[in-house]
Amino acid sequence: MARLLCGCVCSLVALILTAQPRDARAAPAPQSKEVQAQAWRAIASLPDLWQGTWQSVSPIADDFPTPPDYTPSALDYIKTYKPVEDSPFANCKPLGLPFLMNIGGMPMKFFQSPGMIALYVESSGMTRFIHTDGRQHSERPNPTYLGESIGHWEGDTLVVDSTGFAPDTLFQMGKLDPKTLAQGDPSPLSGVIFGQHGPNLRLVERMRLADFNTLEIQTTIYDDTVFKRPYSLPARKYIRGIDRRNEPQEWACTDNRDYFDQATGKVEYNVKDKAQSR
Amino acid sequence: MKQPALTRSVNLKILIVVIAAFCCSSAAYAHHSFALFDRGKLTTLNGTVREWKWANPHTWLTVVVRKANGADEEWALVGSSPNMMVRWGWNAADIKAGDKVMVDIHPARDGKTIGQLQTVFLPGGKVLADPAGQPGEALAGGPTNLPTKPQGELYK
Repeated sequence: MARLLCGCVCSLVALILTAQPRDARAAPAPQSKEVQAQAWRAIASLPDLWQGTWQSVSPIADDFPTPPDYTPSALDYIKTYKPVEDSPFANCKPLGLPFLMNIGGMPMKFFQSPGMIALYVESSGMTRFIHTDGRQHSERPNPTYLGESIGHWEGDTLVVDSTGFAPDTLFQMGKLDPKTLAQGDPSPLSGVIFGQHGPNLRLVERMRLADFNTLEIQTTIYDDTVFKRPYSLPARKYIRGIDRRNEPQEWACTDNRDYFDQATGKVEYNVKDKAQSR
Repeated sequence: MKQPALTRSVNLKILIVVIAAFCCSSAAYAHHSFALFDRGKLTTLNGTVREWKWANPHTWLTVVVRKANGADEEWALVGSSPNMMVRWGWNAADIKAGDKVMVDIHPARDGKTIGQLQTVFLPGGKVLADPAGQPGEALAGGPTNLPTKPQGELYK
């Protein structure tokens, strides 16, 4: 009897265990043609982020006009921080968010399909996938350079919530006081404080059209290892381009790491070992 | 907090290459080593193309200049990414080895025979300007007011 009972309980447990994942994460079923058609129609009435591409017209570095309320460890870090003397984009290493959105030399393009918005960022050759199917964040998102992004519309504003970032995504945590910098420093990165973000970094981006040709993206950073309170950055601006020249292009950047030998004054290409060691 | 690996690598004083132009501040600068080239100085090279390397993250134009004393000198000139140059009217096939070119460059501060491309004047009269350091509006809109002849001090 006991064995039978045990068997029943075990079977029941097994049933629950096997059934649970199916309940919690229902296998996606193909949508009917009608449902899909309706989803496409709904997309048609959304603000037009889709025509052409978007070229940044904001400075590469973020400004931190309101002094952030830093944690003690962040303050310690900043106290001894030496500004980078050069651009931190060696080796075509993926930058990741949030700084990916700051690189302005090349445009980005939105695409949309039911349940997902994709954003191709040419300067990194990467595509962000923003889920708009109403899902919640994963409990344990795997760390990635672009994180896990979930979007929803608040009126005409696309609100994108992202988390699950790799520890080495490029992260600007502030700006040094201009008075401490060398006079006439031409670098657009002068004074930028790059640092390490925490494992629970979360970004909330509010994307909206200021007018047909202007996109504004305002980002709020949630990272309690750096900021005691979430920090809201000023909005970055992008202008729309619809000419052929503005169309997106591929960005392949891993095969031509150029290396300039200071000793000989010669340039070498595809010098992966030297390139990696720098 | 640890200094991120990226920052460590930039502390090495070697030419760091970058992927994109920094647009937009009024003092917009190129995506190359800021310290290496003198953006305030323009030099004109008159030479023969040895190699034209069209690849990301940078293009490189190698030009041989015959000096007044008869010696040949090789110059390595770094340009923007092909992606940006295409938007400013460049084509990979515009330049080939053997072409006689005039090139306006920002030379190295330390006198090495390297430079940052500014404008290339091709034998057929075509003028190609490098979009490095231009503001976003100009990157999206294309070049305007191209010079018709070299603007720098001729290197001899």
